[in-house]
Amino acid sequence: MNSGSVAPPAWQCRAMTVAYGDFIALDGIDVGFERGRIHAVVGQNGAGKTTFARAIAGIVRPRQGQILVDGLEIEPGKVRAARDAGVELVHQSFALPPSFTIAEAMEFGTRKHGQLFTASGLARRWTQHLAELDVTADVRSRIRDLPVETQQGVEIARALVTEADLLILDEPTAVLSPSGVERLFERVRRLKARGVTVILILHKIREVLAIADTVTVLRGGRLVAAGLARQALDPVALSDLIIGGPAAQGAEAAVGLAAGAPAEHAVARQTAAIEPIARLEDITTEGRAEAPALDHASVALHAGEILGVAGVEGNGQRSLVEALCGLAKLKEGRIMMGGRDISREDLGERRKQGLRVIPFERNSEGLSLSSALWENWAASRLLAGPLLSYIRPQRLRAQARAAFDRWSVRYAGPSQPAGALSGGNAQKVIFSRELDGQVRLIIAAQPTRGLDIGATAFVWKALREARDTGAAVLMISSDLDELFDTADRLIVMLSGRVVAEFRPPYDMARVGAAMTGAVTEALSEPLTGARP
Amino acid sequence: MSATLTILLRTAIFILVALALCGLIFQAAGYSALDMFASILDGAFLRKGGLSQCLRWALPLFITATGVVLSFRCGFFNIGAQGQFYMGAIAATAMASWLNGMPVAVLVPVSILSGMAGGALWALWPGILRFRWGTDEVITTLMGNFIAGLILVYVTTGPLKDPSGSGQQSSSKPLAAAYRISNSMGLSPTIIAISLVVGIGMWLLINRTAFGVLGGLAGRNPEMLRWQGARMWKFGLASFMVSGALAGLAGAIEVFGPNGRLVGGFLPTHGFTAVLIALVANLSITGTAVAALFFGGLASAALYLPIMAGLPSAAIDIINAAIALFITAKSRMIDRMFSARGKTP
Repeated sequence: MNSGSVAPPAWQCRAMTVAYGDFIALDGIDVGFERGRIHAVVGQNGAGKTTFARAIAGIVRPRQGQILVDGLEIEPGKVRAARDAGVELVHQSFALPPSFTIAEAMEFGTRKHGQLFTASGLARRWTQHLAELDVTADVRSRIRDLPVETQQGVEIARALVTEADLLILDEPTAVLSPSGVERLFERVRRLKARGVTVILILHKIREVLAIADTVTVLRGGRLVAAGLARQALDPVALSDLIIGGPAAQGAEAAVGLAAGAPAEHAVARQTAAIEPIARLEDITTEGRAEAPALDHASVALHAGEILGVAGVEGNGQRSLVEALCGLAKLKEGRIMMGGRDISREDLGERRKQGLRVIPFERNSEGLSLSSALWENWAASRLLAGPLLSYIRPQRLRAQARAAFDRWSVRYAGPSQPAGALSGGNAQKVIFSRELDGQVRLIIAAQPTRGLDIGATAFVWKALREARDTGAAVLMISSDLDELFDTADRLIVMLSGRVVAEFRPPYDMARVGAAMTGAVTEALSEPLTGARP
Repeated sequence: MSATLTILLRTAIFILVALALCGLIFQAAGYSALDMFASILDGAFLRKGGLSQCLRWALPLFITATGVVLSFRCGFFNIGAQGQFYMGAIAATAMASWLNGMPVAVLVPVSILSGMAGGALWALWPGILRFRWGTDEVITTLMGNFIAGLILVYVTTGPLKDPSGSGQQSSSKPLAAAYRISNSMGLSPTIIAISLVVGIGMWLLINRTAFGVLGGLAGRNPEMLRWQGARMWKFGLASFMVSGALAGLAGAIEVFGPNGRLVGGFLPTHGFTAVLIALVANLSITGTAVAALFFGGLASAALYLPIMAGLPSAAIDIINAAIALFITAKSRMIDRMFSARGKTP
């Protein structure tokens, strides 16, 4: 706590409890944040971080407790009160209207409504504001057309139009590439230099230690540590605080082991499969705005191997996954699986041959949030059989329950809607559905995005186990540390092409250079061919 | 279950609020709301023979509404039940006039099946447009209603016209009495049996088959089902055609039952009431049975009001419209409550 400081904290809460129905999300939190510093709030998924951010911004009303801004009590649970006091929140999933231009979004944020204005007038007013915050974008471009990083910059700029002096960023790094994270942190440091107090909701320990002045830890809705000085913390200690006690497995994920560390790679397995399980041969697809096309990409997937796909987001990763799943139109090339050309088969047929997918978007492509958990779980099984076959919901619910328990999903009951689960538990439900006995090739697209340490370790373990039982794993990730730890082989995608291939030990600099197109690694083997 | 109870309670409250609004409208229009409601209640259920009159309207509405429930659950907003109902009636009549003279055991089932086929085909083209070119089915099925209505006028004044007919309303030749499945009161064991078979069959399809569960997922999140490898057009076309076939069946029943012939411009609100029933029933088959009784009663009261009580039958239209208004608002509000409460952090 900041009891030593003379000035009152920029933001403080006393005995704050937030509950959703019977569920206590935050339990008697007492914490204060000192002015002009960068504070990290960390915890696992479900620890109450987002609720905390929302309580600060006045979006959720605490059941009890006091909130003080600069020592003055404000009315809790009122966005207007929070904003009047200079508190602004940048949401985890961006909240600006996609059809607005940047300038319109900024004007929208000022709360001076009911005036007439012209497009050029707006542009003049806000170009300056963006420049000051070092956001390079045309203020007349629409939010939906912006790259993720710029969108986030604009969100932050929107939060600062009212001269906010306390800014909360909820999981701001979840959507960013490694270099994007660096630039975000630069931006945050500049804000600090301007005297803005910043509260960052984070869950990656490396990031916390890189940026925060103080660290506050939540676990299961309770305050575990408040305002610890960063200097007093090391990765292991912090991960213990987050998980609660030393958890070797979690710590590994938490620290994001240094690049090239001797993680369990399947190097010894080189003699295993000669013929790959699946092969993309010279694939070119029709691109879409949100999924740039593949351009003569060839990838071979081998049994017992985790193939990592690195690359800055939007370089054809989504098209690669969709092509393998039969959801993208092929213009050229063919896809072989089990020695047969499956290019013309749809996903249902490919699934019958053992293809499984963890899609990019957990909440839209992976699960139907408003449907019951058991229905989500049963979908793949029901699709495998005749559509008019008689089912017993009771039995399916029991089977789903058994599967969830095997994957240690935390849930209330199989009839609960999937949307009630936290990210990590939702991902476990998807894994429990996809990793059945018949899996031969599993595509894991950003499988740990937005997950906490424990769930991340869980996902890695599941993928390694799938590999060890002889499945081929294709793992797409924008987290290089994750790829270095898990991938037995790594390819780099750039502009829809496979531009480089690496084997462990990986070299961060060389992989990074390949991602940005600085160098093209000499391919170590013809990609479509068999392994030596 | 308490969740079901909440839905039930909420629906009841919304209907009561809608009725209260209607009461205000009746008063403002110079009628006594109390009299009006008493007459409606009397006309709908309480009068002598009221229950059988209520069932006469409720059963075809129920059959049509179960089809609407299926397509809505699968996420396809087939609001073309009216047109599919017309096309079913037309196809059944056409088949019957073609087979005229054949034994009852042949003519009646074949004609009724062609009525179902007619309704299914009238639902098929919006389905194909939807899956081939992404055309919005709300627009196409709605337009289909008007087209089918005009086709009905055409066939009853043209190809199927009763040459001896002299009344103001054009119609087809009356069916021979032997071919009728009910008298003009419109209630018979055959119709009740058909309704039961449809009800049980649809309940099983929705609650006890893979199709039903997957269709529910398709309706709530088609994207998720696509990533599971489902062929979405299968669900789409199947739900379009089943709902069309059931509306067509209801149309055929009207021809072979109470009407005994195809009448130009008959029951113009049947399909829309069926959509309303499906929504009030929260897309459940058991709920549909209850709601169909309620709206069947109202339909029967609509005939009773002007004749027996000297009150305008438009009162029933006002009630239907008010309930439609509140029920749509209700589902929106439930959605919103769901999205706010469904997530824990």
